[in-house]
Amino acid sequence: MTNIYAAIELGTTQTVLAVAEAKTGSRLKIIRHAEINSSGVRKSQILNIHQVTQSIKSVLKAIEQKRGKDDDSLNIGNAFLVVSGQHIKVDPYCSSVQVEGSKVTNRDIEEVERACQMMILPKERETLDIIYQTYGLDALGGISSPKGMSGRMLRLNTLHIHGDTNRINDARTAAGEANLELRDPLFAVSCAADAVLNDSEKRNGALVLDLGGGSTGYAVYFDGYLAAANAIGIGGDHISSDIAYAFQTTHAQSEELKKKESSAVLLPAGAASARIPLPGSSPLMETRTVSRRALDTVVNLRLKELFSIIRRELEDQDLLHRLHSGVVLTGGGAALKGLDALAQKEFGLPVRLGRPIHVDGLSDVPNPESFAAIAGALMFAHRNYECKPLLSIFKGLFK
Amino acid sequence: MNQVSPILLIGVGGAGCAIAHGVNRAFGESMRHVLCDTDAVSARENSRFILLGGDRLSGHGSGGDVAQARLAAEDSKHAFDECLDGVRLAVIVTSLGGGTGGGATLEILKHLRQLGVPGIVFATLPFSFEGEERACRARGITSMIEEAAGAAIFTQLDNLIDNTDNMAEAMRRAVDTLASGVTLFWRILQKPGYIRLDTERVKKIIATAGRGRFATVSVQGPTRAGDAVDALSRSPLLAANQGPVRSILLGILAGDDLRLSEIGTIADGVRDAFGRQASFDLATVNDESTFSGRLSAVLMLFEAGRAQADDGEAVSATGQKRRRRDANPLSQGPKGRGRFTNVEPTIYNGEDLDVPTFSRRNIILDI
Repeated sequence: MTNIYAAIELGTTQTVLAVAEAKTGSRLKIIRHAEINSSGVRKSQILNIHQVTQSIKSVLKAIEQKRGKDDDSLNIGNAFLVVSGQHIKVDPYCSSVQVEGSKVTNRDIEEVERACQMMILPKERETLDIIYQTYGLDALGGISSPKGMSGRMLRLNTLHIHGDTNRINDARTAAGEANLELRDPLFAVSCAADAVLNDSEKRNGALVLDLGGGSTGYAVYFDGYLAAANAIGIGGDHISSDIAYAFQTTHAQSEELKKKESSAVLLPAGAASARIPLPGSSPLMETRTVSRRALDTVVNLRLKELFSIIRRELEDQDLLHRLHSGVVLTGGGAALKGLDALAQKEFGLPVRLGRPIHVDGLSDVPNPESFAAIAGALMFAHRNYECKPLLSIFKGLFK
Repeated sequence: MNQVSPILLIGVGGAGCAIAHGVNRAFGESMRHVLCDTDAVSARENSRFILLGGDRLSGHGSGGDVAQARLAAEDSKHAFDECLDGVRLAVIVTSLGGGTGGGATLEILKHLRQLGVPGIVFATLPFSFEGEERACRARGITSMIEEAAGAAIFTQLDNLIDNTDNMAEAMRRAVDTLASGVTLFWRILQKPGYIRLDTERVKKIIATAGRGRFATVSVQGPTRAGDAVDALSRSPLLAANQGPVRSILLGILAGDDLRLSEIGTIADGVRDAFGRQASFDLATVNDESTFSGRLSAVLMLFEAGRAQADDGEAVSATGQKRRRRDANPLSQGPKGRGRFTNVEPTIYNGEDLDVPTFSRRNIILDI
């Protein structure tokens, strides 16, 4: 049996769509993917639904044009939505129930799991996911499987991930206009963490940083469960904006400077040419140059600040010293030069790039870490909807 | 028609119960309030009392253990449900440094949030002479309370005393100061004057207000407006070194003799003293029976909030609506929001992170 799933990310800089195939007995495989430059999105918020609809139509067209070996056309009717942005909040929540007998039974566990679904959100918030962390029994905590244990009060610690309903509905509206139905919205960084961490890293403690265009998400795994996550409204677009402001360049020029020339760490003096010609200068004007040191300073200050915010949040939650497997960088911003060195310095932990390890089909992609969230979303789809095909494949039916 | 108040006052812990009880007495009327503690001795006459974690702690207190207090509050959280009928806003008073004040407040806030009731917390931080352990315990819980509450006003007790105070006076003054602040805040909500601040508006303000500080002043005489500004500007409770101000909430309470020019003087003076760029909300109370010949003001400064009216307008000191001067985000603080001019700002510790870091830190680039 073959199941097909699709996931889409309406990012600040890129709109990414990927389709994966799950065959019985084999690993999930991305069979098609396409990414185009986004418009109408800023800081992960949709500002122009019409432009986003056009982006979705373009990416659908692009993916349909990328024919695989076995199919002539692919009609994508629905896709899982990968969401990010500072409107997403993650709240710890503990539910508790009285144990019916003297020992915990499956029924008690079901009861406490049901109780944790009862968390009431304001009407403008929508639940994205509820993560079960650990159980507690009376004064004892950190229990992974309470069945059969003796006690009076059973607790379940959870993380409730929720987002702004209006922001998510805007995405649904834009997709609907492009005849694409959006299925469950999924939090980008928790998807990315799922895709790039192995079980051992999840047990030993790891921090995943998903550096997007409009926001940066972080997720901490410890003891095998998601211990904390958050999204901060600072992303790669801020770096470009800072460069544009510092050097009075266009956004396109600052993007190019960021991607091709800048470094997150300050290089020693004389390590590279001291001045960089401004890309895309008019041939009618004298070529402008910018100081490499100044450029790196702008980028370094922004990223150091971002990392220090995340570091403080982890310290406040007593999690920083538990990250024995280090830091994993994902997202489009992860490819920035020197980012790993800066992260290593700021967190005092080993750092690696996070390429999706549980999904095949990305070997041709130059920066697979930017597909981590999408890959995680496809894994979620496969895990939860294994017996329910989500797409219709029409092999040349309408040709 | 007997209207039920949409606001509930909750006193948490020993000191919180004392303050809430004091506020109730000061208000002189029956107000919706509930006291709760892990220690049964905090129960007061004529006040509803919830014993937290009765089964767990048998009413003997948490012994300074924040974790026990949290569990106790978790055990008893549903006891609050029947007090919350029709409640739109909860005002919580407490004292941090012991067990129940911090631990139970946190759990109560979470429970309120699950029920869709926002809370504003007024909390005292311990005197320095109470020792590093209590200070540490209080510090550890403040950020969590701040996050759970939306708006949290922390008052450092050291700022309330002078060296001549004895222990009893210091404690009494601490309770009185907090109680008077909460009482005035309560009056603003319950007895609005010509410039009113209703519960829904306060809900909106506190939803993102973050950490705050407050002071009150009571003055009389022909120069009372200027005296009020002077006293507020010099109040150690509002010291500028405590953090940047993003949002100002000013309440002016007086009798029927309150003049428009006095409102203008105080509002302008406060904005000059604490930041013209901060968003500003004003409310007045005209209550001749309580404030005859006297003028009181309560001033709250918040570090993270952007108290913006629904229509993008603010109420001016003279009561007229006018276009907010800082409606264009580019005019807020340093320049450089650039592409992020019209999107929701990223505010962290009162700083607008959409502005380039180098610009906020005044770093001059050798371009």
